[in-house]
Amino acid sequence: MRWFPLARKEFRGIVWYKGTWLFTALLVYFGYQPSYRGYRGIGPDITIAYIQNFATLLLPLGVLLLSYRSIIKERRSGSLKIPLGLPLTRTDVLLGKIAGRTAGLGASVLVACLALGSYGLVRYGLFSPLRFVAVVLVTLLYVVMLVSIATAISAVTRRAITATTAVFAGVFLPLFAFWDPIIRMVNNTFLGSASGPQGFDPGGPYFLLLRLAPGNAYTVLTNWILGVGNTVRGYEGVLRMTESPAMYVNLTMVETALQDPPIYLHEAGGLLILLGWAAVPLGLAWVRFTRGDVL
Amino acid sequence: MSETSEHSIELRNLTKRFDNTVAVDDLSLTVMDDETYGFLGPNGAGKSTTISMLLDYRRPTEGTARVLGQDPHTDGAQMRARIGHLPDRYSLYDNLSARRHLRFVIDTKGAADDPEVLLERVGLADVVDDPAGTFSQGMEQRLALAMALAGDPELLILDEPFSGLDPHGVRTVRDIVHEERERDTAVFFSSHILGQVELVCDRLGILHNGRLIAEGTLEELKENIGADEDASIEDIFVEYTNDSVRATTEGVSR
Repeated sequence: MRWFPLARKEFRGIVWYKGTWLFTALLVYFGYQPSYRGYRGIGPDITIAYIQNFATLLLPLGVLLLSYRSIIKERRSGSLKIPLGLPLTRTDVLLGKIAGRTAGLGASVLVACLALGSYGLVRYGLFSPLRFVAVVLVTLLYVVMLVSIATAISAVTRRAITATTAVFAGVFLPLFAFWDPIIRMVNNTFLGSASGPQGFDPGGPYFLLLRLAPGNAYTVLTNWILGVGNTVRGYEGVLRMTESPAMYVNLTMVETALQDPPIYLHEAGGLLILLGWAAVPLGLAWVRFTRGDVL
Repeated sequence: MSETSEHSIELRNLTKRFDNTVAVDDLSLTVMDDETYGFLGPNGAGKSTTISMLLDYRRPTEGTARVLGQDPHTDGAQMRARIGHLPDRYSLYDNLSARRHLRFVIDTKGAADDPEVLLERVGLADVVDDPAGTFSQGMEQRLALAMALAGDPELLILDEPFSGLDPHGVRTVRDIVHEERERDTAVFFSSHILGQVELVCDRLGILHNGRLIAEGTLEELKENIGADEDASIEDIFVEYTNDSVRATTEGVSR
């Protein structure tokens, strides 16, 4: 735990930064989306679903933005020489950065969850505390994964503009904003099942590809906890599909599309996907960061 | 692993290339554990690159480095626990106070120093809780020096320690170097402030275009180029680093 003082310094830097708490306020603002359909579908657990609302786009964008400069900024300014001149290995530096950022941003996200939970408790009554805790834990794992990806990019890039481009063009846009249309195109082009008059008729690989994106893996997991259905659509979309299937022929759930779903489409697989996204980019960055010149 | 060594720094044929540029070229030098070694050279001579290899910021293309008997690459963390380093072209953490900077270094080193005592040594006793973002360049340099002193290091590596300091600050650095020498701390430093180097160093090495072109006491360096006894260190430095003169010097003068 030689890296603990570095993690503590990073944590303090994040929690003293006003932008972090502006981010918390935005999470609450965008998470709170009252919905008659939602309440009718899952009752007081709609409070828990508010967490899923902010985790779709705003959470990844905010965490990536607040993390991707953690190493590149210090490399450019020269302050990275301070931890690197101390009895820390380069692995310690990476771990300290990730642990500190995760703790700081995790605290910010936790406050947003608790604020929404408190309001929902008053407004809708008691929700399932177990489901709430489970969704919060999955959301914190999601934060770990996002910080890991951002720190990995920060560790391997030499110029701030490269890091910015990598975060937006290489991660946020393809994986969080446009993954679904990309996979739909891939499916239509290579997997041979297309939408037509009989509706969209995808196979198991399509569902698998969809949930390989970290945001979708998170949604699958939290849908599972909320008990709404096995799909990458958020809970509100699932409820809409369930209520009016004829109106949403292009939006499908595993349960309705596949008679005997393969094991790899089990919702718990989302956990492995999130862990994979936390470990693989970071592992590659670790190899690069610990070899050769660091400054 | 903690080894005792009479050599604080031992470089053998150290070379660092960046693409087609040779920043450090076949550098061999030894710094004893009872001396203050001045590492001189014009801008771009390769001094900071050499120091970055001692700290394992950068890794040599060829050759070996041993610092306090340890390999900077394989034993880097243990080695740096025994070193105090004041880097060149660094930046402090603007939002952290002087005390928090010291606390970070002290805790990482597992040392028992009192931040206030260290800050008093460098003349920052009255700004202990001020954020570093409000400091002048000289105050930043004093704080960085206090950070280098944390953990009672066996070797101080000071890269341009006089940068941005007023005359009081320069004197403080000089006094601290003398104090540390009395506590058996070896000191290796690079500087452009030649007059100060003369006042604190036992031995000098002059690096030019990545190569060590001269090494020895000030008197030895004077002798090697036949300089007058009253020649200043600046005269000597210019003589050694003047390419036309250097071309006539065979190898390293010792």
